[in-house]
Amino acid sequence: MPRHAPASIEFRSVTKRYGTVTAVDDVSFTIEPGTLVTLLGPSGCGKTTTLRLIAGLEIASAGEILIGGRDVTTQAAADRNVSMVFQSYALFPHMSVLDNVAYGPKVQGLGRARAHALALEKLELVGLSGLGNRSPSELSGGQQQRVAVARALVLEPEVLLFDEPLSNLDAKLRRRVRDDIRDLQQRLNLTVAYVTHDQEEALAVSDRIIVMSNARIAQSGTPRELYEEPASVFVADFIGNANLLPGDLLREEGDRAVIQVGALTIDLPRRGASRGPVTVAVRPDAIRLHGTQPSSPAIQAQVAKAAYLGGHVEYTVGSALGELFAVDRTDRTPMPVGAPVWISFADRDVTVVPR
Amino acid sequence: MAPAAKAWLVAAWAGYVLAPWYLADPLSALGSGGGLWLGLTRAPWLLPVGLALVAATWPLARGLDRTRAARWLVAAGMGGLAVLWLQGFAVGLSGWGLGLASLLGAPGPAQGGMGLGAAMTATSLLMLFCAGLAGLGWCRGDAFVTSSIGLVVALVGLFVLFPVLTILGSAAGTPGGGASPALFVSRLADPSIWGLGCLAGNGTCGVAWNTLFLAILVGLGTTLLGLAFALIATRTAFRYKKALRLLSLLPIITPPFVIGLALILLFGRSGAVSALLFDVFGVPRSRWIYGLPGILIAQLLAFTPIAFLVLIGVVQGISPSLEEASQTLRARGWVTFATITFPLLRPGLANAFLLGFVESMADFGNPLVLGGNYEVLSTKIFFAIVGASQDQGRAAVLATILLAFTLGAFWVQHAWLGKRSYTTVTGKGDSGLAPPLPRRVAWLCYATAIPWALFTFAVYAIILVGSFVKAMGRDYTPTFEHYLTGFRIEQTPQGLFFSGSAWNSLFVTLKVAVLSAPFTAAIGLLTAYLLTRQTFAGRRAFEFGTMVSFAVPGTVVGISYILAFNVPPVEITGTGLILIICFVFRNMPVAVRSGIASLSQIDKSLDEASHTLGARSFTTVWRVIVPLLRPALVAALVYSFVRAMTAVSAVIFLVSAEYNMATTYIVGRVEAGEFGLAIAYSTALVAVMLVGILLIQLLVGERRLGRRTALAAAPAPALASS
Amino acid sequence: MNATFAQRLMPALGALTLAAAGLLPMAAQAQGSLVLYCGVNEDWCRAASTAFERETGIKVAMTRKSSGEILAQVKAESSNPRADVWWGGTGDPHLQAAEEGLTTDYKSPKVGELQDWAVRPWEQTKGRTVGIYSGALGFGYNAKVLKSRGIPEPKCWADLLDPKFKDEVQVADPNSSGTAYTLLATVVQLMGEDKGFEYMKALHKNVNQYTKSGSAPAKAVSLGETAVGITFMHDMISVAVDNPDVKTVAPCEGTGYEIGSMSIVKGARNLDSAKRWYDWALTPAAQEFGAKTKNFQVPSNKAAPTPPEAPKLAEIKLIPYDFAKYGSSDERRRLLAKWDREVKPLSK
Repeated sequence: MPRHAPASIEFRSVTKRYGTVTAVDDVSFTIEPGTLVTLLGPSGCGKTTTLRLIAGLEIASAGEILIGGRDVTTQAAADRNVSMVFQSYALFPHMSVLDNVAYGPKVQGLGRARAHALALEKLELVGLSGLGNRSPSELSGGQQQRVAVARALVLEPEVLLFDEPLSNLDAKLRRRVRDDIRDLQQRLNLTVAYVTHDQEEALAVSDRIIVMSNARIAQSGTPRELYEEPASVFVADFIGNANLLPGDLLREEGDRAVIQVGALTIDLPRRGASRGPVTVAVRPDAIRLHGTQPSSPAIQAQVAKAAYLGGHVEYTVGSALGELFAVDRTDRTPMPVGAPVWISFADRDVTVVPR
Repeated sequence: MAPAAKAWLVAAWAGYVLAPWYLADPLSALGSGGGLWLGLTRAPWLLPVGLALVAATWPLARGLDRTRAARWLVAAGMGGLAVLWLQGFAVGLSGWGLGLASLLGAPGPAQGGMGLGAAMTATSLLMLFCAGLAGLGWCRGDAFVTSSIGLVVALVGLFVLFPVLTILGSAAGTPGGGASPALFVSRLADPSIWGLGCLAGNGTCGVAWNTLFLAILVGLGTTLLGLAFALIATRTAFRYKKALRLLSLLPIITPPFVIGLALILLFGRSGAVSALLFDVFGVPRSRWIYGLPGILIAQLLAFTPIAFLVLIGVVQGISPSLEEASQTLRARGWVTFATITFPLLRPGLANAFLLGFVESMADFGNPLVLGGNYEVLSTKIFFAIVGASQDQGRAAVLATILLAFTLGAFWVQHAWLGKRSYTTVTGKGDSGLAPPLPRRVAWLCYATAIPWALFTFAVYAIILVGSFVKAMGRDYTPTFEHYLTGFRIEQTPQGLFFSGSAWNSLFVTLKVAVLSAPFTAAIGLLTAYLLTRQTFAGRRAFEFGTMVSFAVPGTVVGISYILAFNVPPVEITGTGLILIICFVFRNMPVAVRSGIASLSQIDKSLDEASHTLGARSFTTVWRVIVPLLRPALVAALVYSFVRAMTAVSAVIFLVSAEYNMATTYIVGRVEAGEFGLAIAYSTALVAVMLVGILLIQLLVGERRLGRRTALAAAPAPALASS
Repeated sequence: MNATFAQRLMPALGALTLAAAGLLPMAAQAQGSLVLYCGVNEDWCRAASTAFERETGIKVAMTRKSSGEILAQVKAESSNPRADVWWGGTGDPHLQAAEEGLTTDYKSPKVGELQDWAVRPWEQTKGRTVGIYSGALGFGYNAKVLKSRGIPEPKCWADLLDPKFKDEVQVADPNSSGTAYTLLATVVQLMGEDKGFEYMKALHKNVNQYTKSGSAPAKAVSLGETAVGITFMHDMISVAVDNPDVKTVAPCEGTGYEIGSMSIVKGARNLDSAKRWYDWALTPAAQEFGAKTKNFQVPSNKAAPTPPEAPKLAEIKLIPYDFAKYGSSDERRRLLAKWDREVKPLSK
């Protein structure tokens, strides 16, 4: 098996229609070689279709798809040097674990012995040596997942795709498998496209994230860019549960702006906004709650819900600006429901959202 | 151009230049030779075919790019096939066809039936056409898929739709040979077809209602019985499972007429049971068996195994974790069964019902023997063709009604199944074990299946006894005479000589059955794969097309095959080939149905995983789908093998002196009143088919799906299942 | 397409082609062969064709079917005929085939040796079909069954109308069976059309089942499923020789009969062989195969001995059956439609 260098993935105005429904609408992006890029979005946003377009399981209705600089738009899945880990793992139930992993090399025409050697190597890589003769149904969920990864890796593809790989695992396992995948990707220097609807998962593993909404790209960037500078209300809300508050841009001062939010006046990077009403995204961590009225201006509110979560306390508070979601990491004693509170904002994690 | 397309191009040229274009027929005026040679010398109408081949070769010669080459292939393939087809009809056996004679002067040139060369060229042109479509990005650019669709469409079109349309066209035909729409309407509106006298309490109902009523009863009955057997076989610890499964399968391997005959010998006015009831209880002897009850019982006996074969695969395929999930949600056993298991069986139930329904409609032997005065369409059609009135137009009208009923059933089935998902075999290994049947359901199954099994046993006991006594019902002296007449083997100096009168037909039948079964299974499952896994325009019409041959009664198929294939361009009557083709396309729907039922349970991501691992559609089908389809494969093989051994009505017109089938021989014996020999031969056939089924089972093997099949299979590796 | 697909498909296609090629016809029209469609019982067909093969060296490819099936097949094959000779079976389909031009005329030197009734259809159709045997219509009963029910043994057509025979008479449906059509035509000729239909209506009340096949009632009588069956007498005799309870009756009022016929198919590929069969089949020696295989029809060659079991035509009151009229398609269609309309729907 020739060792393939990781390849880039490029979409040029790709559209996929099913009858009258448009699943992917004029999407363009580039995934650099050797990076892990997540396609993130709510269900039905087109992220899985995008992944399947990369795999060749769907053929684009319009536009071009390039892998490693080669046009593969009309190429069938079998002709692309791409492997995929399925949400359901899609392990062949009638084959042993070893046969599952050796399937790829076998159908590529490698001999049985060579295929098995490759498969054993990958099984070892995912830490499943010795389980080759089991049938998939005799393995735990996590083990099955790793078989699926080994099977996808065995052809050493230019591009590796993951479709919601963690959705069938329990919470504890998720974290470990997530780290394993990231580790593997970096160790083997793979190009990975990764579909998930879980923003935390996306933030944790990705080099870059492409957020999709309604068949289009809402924003793409590094996890930090998305978190700190959401390009839209949708992204701000979807990543990090931002509180979206109505504000009024009073003055533009170069690339800064002075904005009135309720009783507060804040100074933020302008991000292209102009005078008039704006939306301000405030992360739950950026909301400071005060049990007594502070000397500086503050928004008055009332505790509606409080949940003790060990390391921090989560609050839902009612205010004139609407319901706000806040996290308090300083004081572990929850305030009683109904207590009056005053709100101010931290310096970070407050941003103007472009309209 | 892809290597396979190049190979087809070579085959096309070989067929055109090298292979003999026509059948070897001394009546052919043109003699033998390749298409090109004949075209240049005596048959100029063959030259345009060569032009199409040149066009197909053009992109190769000029080194055109993928898309442009594909366009050339599509154009050349389509043009070539059209020319081939047109010239076949334009130049007939005795001069111009298609009405050209009046235009160009009679009689004009003549040609015989297409031979090896023409067949090769036509096939290759079709494949080039499909390769071209794939090159244009059809079906995700998968040439295997486009070729398969092209092949199945072409075969179904040629061997199902073409003959059926030929005969249905005569529905408006007058006895003189003309056509009259008014005659068609009056034939269709005949009160003997649609009358409702039986509802009003006087007279009889129309034959259409009779048929429909019977078919619905049979569909429901076979589905329920089949389900009971399937549940007992897979979900209980019943001790006599093996025997039950064997017994439930016997009827399917029983030649027609025999069940009917046995029922008469048991329940007829002079039957064994009737005599017993009369002697012991004084129940007056009556003729109740003749009519609806008799046909119903015989058809239930005959078609329950089909429902069983369809359902057992589906029952086994249901993922135990779904049922386990339900149980953890505090659903009691029978609630789980009613809310989870049963709904998941819907595709199986729908398919089983559809098969029972259609089988009942097309069945001809049982109504013939047991019908009494209860008329059904299939016998009506038969006698409209061969009876004293010889009215082919009326037969065509009746056949149209039959076809319409089947179409209706097909539509209802689709509406009932809807767009729900029935996937239960996923790529996630499941480790659950199927729960045993809830007790209530189990007892219900036992209560249904066991009496039925005993009844079947009685019927077969009669058959077995009948083959060893002089004259069933009159003279019970034991004898081997019947077997000796049919199956005598003599030791002669030249070796064994099969002097029994049945050997010839038995050998022919076996040969035809063995040859047709794999083709039936292959084309049927391939069609099922295309229907469930691929999306393409006209898929629903395609699906219906594959069902048509099943819905058309055998007699109509037989006559239509003669009308369509006795003359060039496709002239195959009187050969063994026509028998095989007839069986393949008649039995294909069963393979399609059981394939669809099984495929709808297999998660599509298994295919996709295989694709992303570099496997093409063909490899995927071969290495992933087929192993998971083993139950459907067994069902398809067994069914087509058995049906080829036992079918009567379709082949009655297709058999020739050289290719005489076992069943026509048996029917001949029944007609001549030699019931003993008929029953003996049937018993021998049953034995032969049992061996055949065991061999199929052995060849195909078991499907492994985690622990559950291992469990289900270990205690009961019985016939034709799992 | 990739190599794997092609590699796998090619052998499969090769196998298909080979298998198919093996089944293609190897020109069954070689010199000295004959394709025979046989309309009598299998044994008789086989015995006759084997004897002919032995005598002439001509290879006979024989297929047995009922006469209705043969007519349907000959009709369907008419644009490219497969058969050479259609031998045996009741005369009406032969007459119909002659009428439709499906068969061809031939004047055999043996025609002169035949009984008058056998020559009549030949003259009528201008040589297209000739009689080879004849059989009278009659009925049979199961003496055991009648005795157990205390019903007197019937002798005449009229006896069958006795209410005691309610649900005890079986006869075929004239739409499907030539035998039953012969019954219809016989009573119409015997009693006149109006009276004849009155008879059929009265008989309808006693009929338990209209079978599809003409000879089925004979088997039902033998099994005891019905007391009386109306068939050709030779069909009844065939079961009677094995079952002494079955008695055959020649109705006292007189009865109609069939002429089992033979025709050469128009466009026959082996015309010479066909003519040899035709001549041979009219010889006394050839006609004896009927009786040898337990088929007790009356042979048409004057010199052929009538089997002792056969009903003696001379002792039966035969009506002057008008084959020209009642064998024509139009008259048949008219009578059948009338029967369908006036008799079949009646309640019992």
